[in-house]
Amino acid sequence: MTTSTNAPHTPHTPASGAPVRRKEDARLLTGRGRYVSDLVLPRMRHVAFVRSPLAHARITGVDVGEALATEGVHAVFTGEHPRIAPVALRARSALPGYVETDQPPLARGKVRFAGEAVAAVVADDRYLAEDGAEGVLVDYEPLAPTVCAWEEPTDPVHEEAPDNLLLSRTFRAGDVDAALAGAAVVVDRELTTNRHGGNPIECRAGVARYEAADRRLTFWSGTQVPWIVRTQLAELLDLPEASIRVIVPDVGGGFGVKAVLYPEDVALCLMAMTMPGTPLKWVEDRVEHLLAATHARDHRYVLRAGFAADGELLAVKADVWCNTGAYSVHPWTAGIEPLMAGGLLTGPYKLADYECTVRGVATNTSPSGPYRGVARPSTVFAMEALLDSGARALGMDPIALRRRNLILPADVPYRMPSRLVDDSGAYEACLDKAVETFDLGRWRAEQTRRRREGGWPVGIGVAVYNELTGLGRAASAGPRMAFRTGHDACTVRVQPDGGVTVFSGVTSQGQGLETTMAQVVADALGVAYEAVEVRIGDTDESLWGFGAFSSRQAVIGGGAAHLAGEEVRGKALALAAALTEAPVEELDLRGGQVYMAGQQKPVISLAEVGRVAYLQSDRLPDGVEPGLESTRFYDPIRGAFAAGAQVAALAVDPATGEIHILDWVCVEDAGRIVHPVIVDGQIAGSIAQGIGGAMFEHLVYDDAGNLSTGTLLDYLMPTAAEIPELRIGHVSTPAANPTGVRGVGEGGTLAPNAVVAGAVADALGIEIDDLPVTPSRVWELVHP
Amino acid sequence: MKTTLTVNGERHRVDVEPRRTLADALREDLGLTGTHLGCEHGVCGACTVLVDGLPARACLMLAVQADGAEVATVEGLAAADGTLHPLQESFSRCHGLQCGACTPGMLMTAAHLLATDPEPDRATIRAEMAGNICRCTGYVGIVDAVADAAGKVRRPGPA
Repeated sequence: MTTSTNAPHTPHTPASGAPVRRKEDARLLTGRGRYVSDLVLPRMRHVAFVRSPLAHARITGVDVGEALATEGVHAVFTGEHPRIAPVALRARSALPGYVETDQPPLARGKVRFAGEAVAAVVADDRYLAEDGAEGVLVDYEPLAPTVCAWEEPTDPVHEEAPDNLLLSRTFRAGDVDAALAGAAVVVDRELTTNRHGGNPIECRAGVARYEAADRRLTFWSGTQVPWIVRTQLAELLDLPEASIRVIVPDVGGGFGVKAVLYPEDVALCLMAMTMPGTPLKWVEDRVEHLLAATHARDHRYVLRAGFAADGELLAVKADVWCNTGAYSVHPWTAGIEPLMAGGLLTGPYKLADYECTVRGVATNTSPSGPYRGVARPSTVFAMEALLDSGARALGMDPIALRRRNLILPADVPYRMPSRLVDDSGAYEACLDKAVETFDLGRWRAEQTRRRREGGWPVGIGVAVYNELTGLGRAASAGPRMAFRTGHDACTVRVQPDGGVTVFSGVTSQGQGLETTMAQVVADALGVAYEAVEVRIGDTDESLWGFGAFSSRQAVIGGGAAHLAGEEVRGKALALAAALTEAPVEELDLRGGQVYMAGQQKPVISLAEVGRVAYLQSDRLPDGVEPGLESTRFYDPIRGAFAAGAQVAALAVDPATGEIHILDWVCVEDAGRIVHPVIVDGQIAGSIAQGIGGAMFEHLVYDDAGNLSTGTLLDYLMPTAAEIPELRIGHVSTPAANPTGVRGVGEGGTLAPNAVVAGAVADALGIEIDDLPVTPSRVWELVHP
Repeated sequence: MKTTLTVNGERHRVDVEPRRTLADALREDLGLTGTHLGCEHGVCGACTVLVDGLPARACLMLAVQADGAEVATVEGLAAADGTLHPLQESFSRCHGLQCGACTPGMLMTAAHLLATDPEPDRATIRAEMAGNICRCTGYVGIVDAVADAAGKVRRPGPA
């Protein structure tokens, strides 16, 4: 952070902490955004994929004759094309027992889920490409589909895994059976959570262009992970990494669903390489997105917990099944959900005796992948359900029971039973503030009044959660993969006119990271926010960034931006000292001007320093190279746990099952906050997605593996009419990283499953075991 | 089919297939990519434009159906000199947008709402904006922005 101790009279306004105007807004509000869907290139052609109508079948023949004869169609590709057939996406992990399987860019030999791409048609425009796609005739020989991850398969999805089990792991700490034997009460729950997905408003999109003369591939993509995509493409396409440029312009939402390298991405690039000089564009439509973009959270939990008479949580024993769908998601593997579930199930609660077996099971459904919160909306639901059952069995207040077991400030660093190290301990502070803001007493009184006087019963739901954010190399995301995602890079360059350009490895799908990075650099360097321009999303411009996942970018990308800004500041001051013949320790850089201690007027401007650095090397001191920039990496080594608590009151109509949200309070510890409005926007948006998953969103397959919620008429996402006014509060425990921030991208999604289920259960005196909590499910529970 | 589209006051003559949607004609034929497509089956509202002053899903309307009509898109909201429309100002101030994908549809729906009801309360805003899905904001900033802009929209601007 910039300090102004040397010249207290000069005004200085830090950009961090202020709700500065977002740099993205001017273009996004006027229809001048630059999305992949908007991109037009000379000679560009359009791609439509032919997708399997069956969940599981052998492909016995593909006839592309009619498609090729269709007006405007230039090419049709199948999985047997000589350039495509040898290529397979293979999500790798060194985890013992993990079964590696291949995912072809276009199906080869058989299809494994309804919606899998079987062929691709290239035409003059998308209408003609879809005409051509209708002419591709595929013969299938059906196989028995498996849809449910906890039922025995008839025909396995992959030969390598006859029981469909791609991964299994048992987390163990202490002696869970002994602890259960000594418990005053033991409770059992069996829960399922509902398959749903990210559904950003902009679906997936890509444009691939290959220039044969210099063997260069440019891939414009909405990906959240451009550098990972570049590395993986280099391997899959057999190109030097430097020959691939991934450009990510404006992106219309991601939420994890775009943090995956998809078979369609690889197919598009391979096809472009066979058609040099012809850019190929594919824009996914919503029906394709619902069918074939990654899904999440199709889980089953069989749970047992033991409590002491005073409410102490003594033991948790869990069996978990996660439906990983037809393929092990690239590059994260089938472990993404099960390992997160087993690692974080116990959440913010102290526990010594723990045993949890998690499984990743292949089925004939769309692959599961990262979605905001990864598994924890399900595990928080599971953990809070156990605590609610425990409170009922003990006759204890559910909030008091939670307090009894929370990891407290005195306990940190706290080693969780899964051996993750919690550095937060702010859970009770969040819960206290949430309960106070919510005014628990008032709602309890209202609950009692309605029970006495009538009206829809009111229920109160509560959940406390820990969000593991900004993971460094020691706690890096992903199960023993070939890469560790602990670091990002940032270059800060002072231009010859004193302007500042930041080349950051972060990517933005709406989080406003151009703004956040500019704030961090403005303060670290000592210039105005307005003077900083940020470039992101181009692998040829910035050095490195792993991308948007695990709530990592403000922590890690922000850390790199701060370090690089600070280093350039040092260089600029050293040069200023040489030019002004002043001692460097007497100089300070603020608002783009260099001040000497005790003086009101600047001694030199950053613009002048920049001019000398680039244009007047004759004025440079001996040993100082021209130019004025720094590139730094940052890795937090561990991570920053972010604490949160949500409390809500819901009213339920027992006659119809209709649910109204009456009040919703969330308190989170975001550490030090760079942009307060962006942070609250992240929290509000993630709560809304959590409420969507808890009450509305459900991707339903029938027994034959057909997706029966294939449009937005069936897959319901909440609107302004369903999401209530949200009351968001903060406690602030700065994290041990350069900017003190904790990640906020996902925490809000973690609680709503537990809060909604807990509140409806509280209102009606029932137990909710299956999500989503829809009116029909409530009606069925009330009318058994 | 020869079709005349008047978009943001400017007349365009296009030759389109009868099946071409208004959204595709705006985006592909006229290069007005501010109108976004989110579902192409009329649910998400991202493609909302005003046709003769009324909100329409540009994905469900054929370009030929707009022959002779006045179409207003997000590109026409700001003044010619770049001065933002009060709704655009309020969306920025209240963080009514994150990724910007739903934003054009939100702005056009809100513009119609404020044209017909200059001072809506929050419940009305929530009900009237319920035809547009946002996946980022949780709607807090959007409702704040429309409420913030209400009353400012009809104020006469500087001459």
